[in-house]
This record gives sequence, structure tokens and C-alpha cells, in this order.
Amino acid sequence: MSLLVVTSNSRFTQQELPACKPILTPGWVITAFIFIGIIFIPIGLASLFASENVVEIADRYDEDCVPSIYASDMLAYIRSSQTNKSCTKSLTVPKKMKNPIYVYYQLDNFYQNHRRLWEEVEFSLLLVSVFPDMSKSRSDKQLRSKANEFETKDCSPEATFLVSNKEMPIVPCGLIAWSMFNDTYGFSLNDKAIQVNKKGIAWKSDREYKFGSDVYPKKFQSGVIGGAKLDENIPLSQQEDLIVWMRTAALPKFRKLYGKIEVDLEANEKITVVIQNNYNTYSFGGKKTLILSTTSWIGGKNDFLGIAYLTFGGLCLFMVISFIFLYVVRPRPLGDPSYLSWNRNPDGLFAQLRCRFLSDILCAMEEF
Amino acid sequence: MLERVSDMMERDLILVGATAVEDKLQQGVPQCIDKLAQAGLKIWVLTGDKMETAINIGFACSLLRQGMKQICINTANTDMLAQDPKKAAKENILMQITNASQMDDMKQQFLNLAVDCASVICCRVSPKQKALVTRLVKQGTGKITLAIGDGANDVGMIQEADIGVGISGVEGMQAVMASDFSIAQFRFLERLLVVHGHWCYKRIAQMICYFFYKNIAFGLTLFYFEAFAGFSGQSVYDDWYMLLFNVLLTSLPVISLGVFEQDVSSEICLQFPALYQQGQKNLFFDWYRIFGWMGNGLYSSLVIFFLTIIIFYDQAFRVGGQTADMAAVGTAMFTSIIWAVNCQIALTMSHFTWIQHLFIWGSIAMWYVFLLLYGMLSPKYSGNAFRILIEALAPSPIFWSATLLVTLACNLPYLAHISFQRCLHPMDHHVIQEIKYYKKDVEDRHMWTRERSKARQRTKIGFTARVDAKIRHLRGKLTKKHSTPTSPS
Repeated sequence: MSLLVVTSNSRFTQQELPACKPILTPGWVITAFIFIGIIFIPIGLASLFASENVVEIADRYDEDCVPSIYASDMLAYIRSSQTNKSCTKSLTVPKKMKNPIYVYYQLDNFYQNHRRLWEEVEFSLLLVSVFPDMSKSRSDKQLRSKANEFETKDCSPEATFLVSNKEMPIVPCGLIAWSMFNDTYGFSLNDKAIQVNKKGIAWKSDREYKFGSDVYPKKFQSGVIGGAKLDENIPLSQQEDLIVWMRTAALPKFRKLYGKIEVDLEANEKITVVIQNNYNTYSFGGKKTLILSTTSWIGGKNDFLGIAYLTFGGLCLFMVISFIFLYVVRPRPLGDPSYLSWNRNPDGLFAQLRCRFLSDILCAMEEF
Repeated sequence: MLERVSDMMERDLILVGATAVEDKLQQGVPQCIDKLAQAGLKIWVLTGDKMETAINIGFACSLLRQGMKQICINTANTDMLAQDPKKAAKENILMQITNASQMDDMKQQFLNLAVDCASVICCRVSPKQKALVTRLVKQGTGKITLAIGDGANDVGMIQEADIGVGISGVEGMQAVMASDFSIAQFRFLERLLVVHGHWCYKRIAQMICYFFYKNIAFGLTLFYFEAFAGFSGQSVYDDWYMLLFNVLLTSLPVISLGVFEQDVSSEICLQFPALYQQGQKNLFFDWYRIFGWMGNGLYSSLVIFFLTIIIFYDQAFRVGGQTADMAAVGTAMFTSIIWAVNCQIALTMSHFTWIQHLFIWGSIAMWYVFLLLYGMLSPKYSGNAFRILIEALAPSPIFWSATLLVTLACNLPYLAHISFQRCLHPMDHHVIQEIKYYKKDVEDRHMWTRERSKARQRTKIGFTARVDAKIRHLRGKLTKKHSTPTSPS
């Protein structure tokens, strides 16, 4: 079979390659839908079951954590360096949560994925109206190794600072880094502190390849009130909060991993949380929520996957029933020539007789 | 004076013999014309020969037959045109027009009469007039015209028609050089039109509709994302994904559809000329189909985008507690698009060679291979897609189950639609495919032959029409014979 030899008379050029020509018969249609229904429904049930087993505690605190005297001017509260940002809240565990329990902070209405930021930037002493690229306002090159320290051209305005009239780069530069989340949470149960493990919260590839172990923060958020602080003696590859923050979120409502609690929490226990409410979401109407969640094999709590599978599985089974009904009520014998278009409008009996007569003659002619 | 001399010389001559020159018709021309007439084409002949020659040719190739009413139009009786063309066209008529140059003022009347006739033969036509007649028919009737010729005098007509076919042969290559298609003999025209024309029409219609679908399904997801990114122009996919979408990942299956797709085999196309009517009636590229495919693309884009976003929403997507960032969501969404779009084309095709299988499933495999290799490049080149498949997505069951769900959710409505359509309103090629699949043509040869004889337009030209007329004549005589003995004496 010389398939690859393309001459003018091969099966390829004469379009006579061996082919399979599947036909959509009622048998195949019903089989396909039943098969899909039978696969989807168990998957849906398993996903729903796993999601129901996940225990999640959510607590919105950006409004609760502002003292009542500042209730009408939250912006002044968060901007001032004199106000006490510490806030205590109490959480009740609804069901037993097995370790590891993941602690997330959730931000709402925060467009980390915005390509340009058309707002006032509040992260420097000068309130400047700038139009920098937000999601592009970062320099991944700079983060990888010390040799690229001066690669700050994408980072403006948070790119460089002057040291004795010489431009030195800010590390890490750019708005994405400078908008880093800096609330902290301290957990305690019955006056005993619960340790939150902040190691291993970032992707391994980020820690090992994207954030260099020879890059140290320099002049990060200097002169900024209320901004995040990075220890200048720890290399970026170990600054996991920064690494987690630098991964651009997909939606304006997102969660990022803060840490892991490695003890079990029993049902009805009261956890006390001390929150340092530093991060300014008040100027753009954002929300802050603290989340504690366990995980299952599908991850966190999201019933949608299970419900979607069950819905489609159910729809498929409904289609099976309706097709069976259709094939019973209006059966069409397969290969029945009376469904050909020239047979569906017969000219009359004489025409049919004539045609049969003619076909007999044609048969006879063919035989010669 | 010369006459008188020749009169004196040519006396007492002995007749030795006679020679004649016959300009034969090519082999297979009558059968070809018959088949084309059965496929529903109207055939005109424009020739430079004189009227008697043209009439003989007409009889030789079965364009004319005994019993047809002839209308001759020449410069003398132009008042023929003024008659009501409907009345004149009641029976099978042929028209012969001599010296067409005088007809300029009466173009519309001539056309009205001519289109109602069974066949038209124009004689003594100059090359320019051939082109003018073709243009008249093209513009007056608005139908698609095809011109076929073999000499330099046919070049004007070939270029004027919508499709020009040149026959290469004894008259030289001028017609071939001016034409869209060139064939070696006239009889190949039958195969060109009825087989390849039919296939090409369907392939192009399916290809164009599928292209709209594919790009709408992909492009609209980018627009939906803008609502979640503050309308800032941020793309949810990596640049390389978007580059490769139309170049490598979804283009090869479409090429295999456009080159190899056959709804019925070539023998069936030749045996059932009525299938050619599907193209003439434009059943496969009407607005209903175009909007249907666009709607399918719109539906697919909505399903792909919203299902992926809501599945990967804000919670952790893996047992390790990590949440999905933009790169993960974008890659998962793109994977779903590749699967959905390629499975859709597999549902559309009806003829699967090894090439189609290789291209469709190979495109999907190529996507995963690309993602793997791209992720292995250093972050300097791959950016956020660094190791995204092996580290983040592949170990997460949600990634695979989301792909499965989205793919089937996109394709099941189309599957249901074609199943319903095949059951309630099967088209001719569906029924014929089923007959061949269940080998009913082998079991019941009589039925198969009968259907083949019925699968044609009622023609008035061609030798089957001649046979038809003969049968009518014979039956008429038979019934008359039988009725005479019973009549009262």
C-alpha cells in the first residue's frame, strides 16, 4: 500500500483512501447518551460528596475592624500611622476540621489582572495620577537573579530611587509588588497560640526558579505609610508571602494562601483571631475576608462541579428517553428509499409505473 | 468565359468514387450530455457552423430529437419573438438562431423565449457574439453559467462565464490557457461537475461554517474575560497559545475536511444525478446554516468561559490548598477550547481516513506536548506558563474533569440536533449512506436500479428522454390497439 508515494494515479490522489464512514444510527445515538449519562452521574455525586465534606469558615472583617469613631471616615483611619490597627474577632468551628487547615485572605473588587490602573496610586508619598500598566508593572527578570537588578524599565513609577544622585533600582519594583497585602493574623484557642506554618505556601517552581536566592529586597516601600515590609536580609526565594502575592489572580474576587494550620480543630471550638488591619481597601470599595478551609481530593468547597455533572448527566438521560420515545412514535426504517426526495412527491401512479417500466428497460440495456 | 472553357473540358468523365470528411463528435458526448441534463443543467450550443451542420450535430448528441417543435429565428422573421414566449414553449421546443447580430435590440424578448426552451442552438456565431450571449444569459437569468470550448474562438465565452472549462486537444491550448479548469475530453465534464463539483460545494460550505464557529468560540471568551478584568485589554491566555490556535492546533483538521471529505462515494454521485441538485438549490450554505453555526459558536464560548471560571472560582483547586491564578485558569480554558473544537469537527465529518484521525487527535495531543515543552523552557521565555502542566494542572483532578465536562457540554447539543434531523428530516445523501451501510443495494438490486432511474430531473433532451418519448409512443399505440376491438362495431 504505497500511501506515501504521491503519483498522479495513487489512491491518495484519486481520493480512494480506505475510510470508515460511521453513520449516526438510533442505536449509536442512544448508546452515546446512555454512556455519557452513566459516566457523568457518579462523577457528579463523587464531586458533590467531596465538596460537601470540605469545612470552610469565612469572616469578613474590613468593616468590623474599623473602630466606631472612624466609621464615617475609614480612609483617614487606615491612612493614619497613629491609629491602632489591631482587631480581635472570634470564629466558631462548625464541624471537625482535620489538618492541614489552610488560611486564606480573600480580596474583593481588586483588579490584580487589570492591564492599566486608571486610579490614583496611593503607595508613595506623592499622590500622583499615573497611568502605569498594573499587571505589567512588574519585572520578573529582576526577581530571578541579582545580575538583573537594574531591569526596572517596566516598573515605573516604583522603579528606582536616588542614592547620592545615582539611580539605584528598587527591589522588587513595580506596582504589583508594592501593592502587596500586609494584614497579619494571629490565631489562638483557649489562650493557647495556634502556629501558622508560612513555609511551603508558594509553588515550588516559583521558589526555585522565578525568585532568585541571591536577590534581596532594597528600599521596598520606603517612605510609605502602611505598606508591606520585607526583611532586607532574607532573599526573595524565601519571601513566600511576596511570591504568593506576585501570582496574578484571574478574577477581581480572589483568595491567596496565607498559611497552614497543622493541628485538628474540633467542632464548636472558639478560635480567637487577632488581625492587624493594615491593608487599605477602603479607597476603592474593596472587601477583605479571612477564610479557613480544609481540602479534599478536588480542592476547596465548590459544589458547582458536582451539580454541573449531575445536571448534564440528567439531561443526557432525559435525551435518551426522548429519543426512545421518538423512535417508537415515529420510526424511520433505515435505508428506506421512500424517504428520498424524489419519492416523497410522487407524480402519480402512472409516473411510478412508467418509471418501473423504464427501469426494466434500462436494466435490459445495461446487460448488453 | 471560364465557365465556357470548363464546360468544354469536363465531358465524358467517369465517376470513380466519392470521399467525405466527417468531423466526428468526441467519444462519450451524448452520454455526457444526457447525464448533465439529468443533473438539471440546461444546455445551449453556440457554434460558428451553418444551420444544417448545427442541426445535425444536435441530433447526433441527442440535444434534438424527432417530435420536438423547432423555432427558427433568423434575420427574416424577427417578429417570432414578439409572440408570447409561454405559448410558444408549451411543447418541447428547440430554437435555432442564425445571425445573432441583429438580435441586439430584442435581447430580453429573446432571453424570455430561450430560457423556456428545452435546448437552444445558436449557429453562425462569432467569438464576440458567443461572449455576448453568455453575458446575456448570466445577467438576465442570474444563474451560474459554465462555458466549455476547445478552440481560440471560445476564449471570449469561457472568460465571460462564471466557470470556464477548456478542452485541450487538436485545436491548440488557447482555450486551456483562458479557462478555470481544463480537461482532455468533453466526457470528463460529467465527472468534473457531478462528482467533484458536488464534493467541492459541500466541502467549502462546511469549511466556512466551521471556521466561523471555531473562531467565534475562541474569540468571544477573550471578550467575556474583559468584563472581569475591568475592560483593560488583559488577555486571559498566554500570547503563544493565541498564536498557535489558528496556525497549528486547529487548522490541520479543517484542511483534511476540505481536501478529503466525501458524503457519498464517486460512483453514487454518478449514479444519482439528482444529488447534484443539492448544490443548485444551495441547501448547505443558506443563512439558516450560517447563523446556526455562529449560534453554536456563541453557545460554546459561553459554556467554555463560564463553566471554567465557576469551576476554578476562588477556592483551592488542588488538595495542596493552592488557588488558581490567571495562568492556570487561562490554560484550563484553552485546553477545553481545543478539545471542544476538535471534537466538533469529528462530529461534522462523515468520511474518516487515517489522515483525518491523525490530524484531529494529533492536534489535541500536540497541544499537550506543546504545553509540556513550553513549560520546560526557562521562565525567561515561558513566563507564567513555566511548568504549569506538570506542576499545577496535571495533578489536579479538577483540571481533567473540567475539560471533560466542558467538551461534552459544548458538543452534545449539536449531536442531539443532527440526530433529530437525521430521524425526522433525512436528506437524500443520509438515506443513500444508510442504504450502502446496510448493503441494501446488494440485497435488493431491483430497488437500487429503480431509485437510480428515478433520481433525475425530468429531462427533455438526451437519449433517455428519447427513450422516454419512444415508450410513450409505444404505450399510446398499445392502448389504441386494445381499445379498438372493444369499441362497438
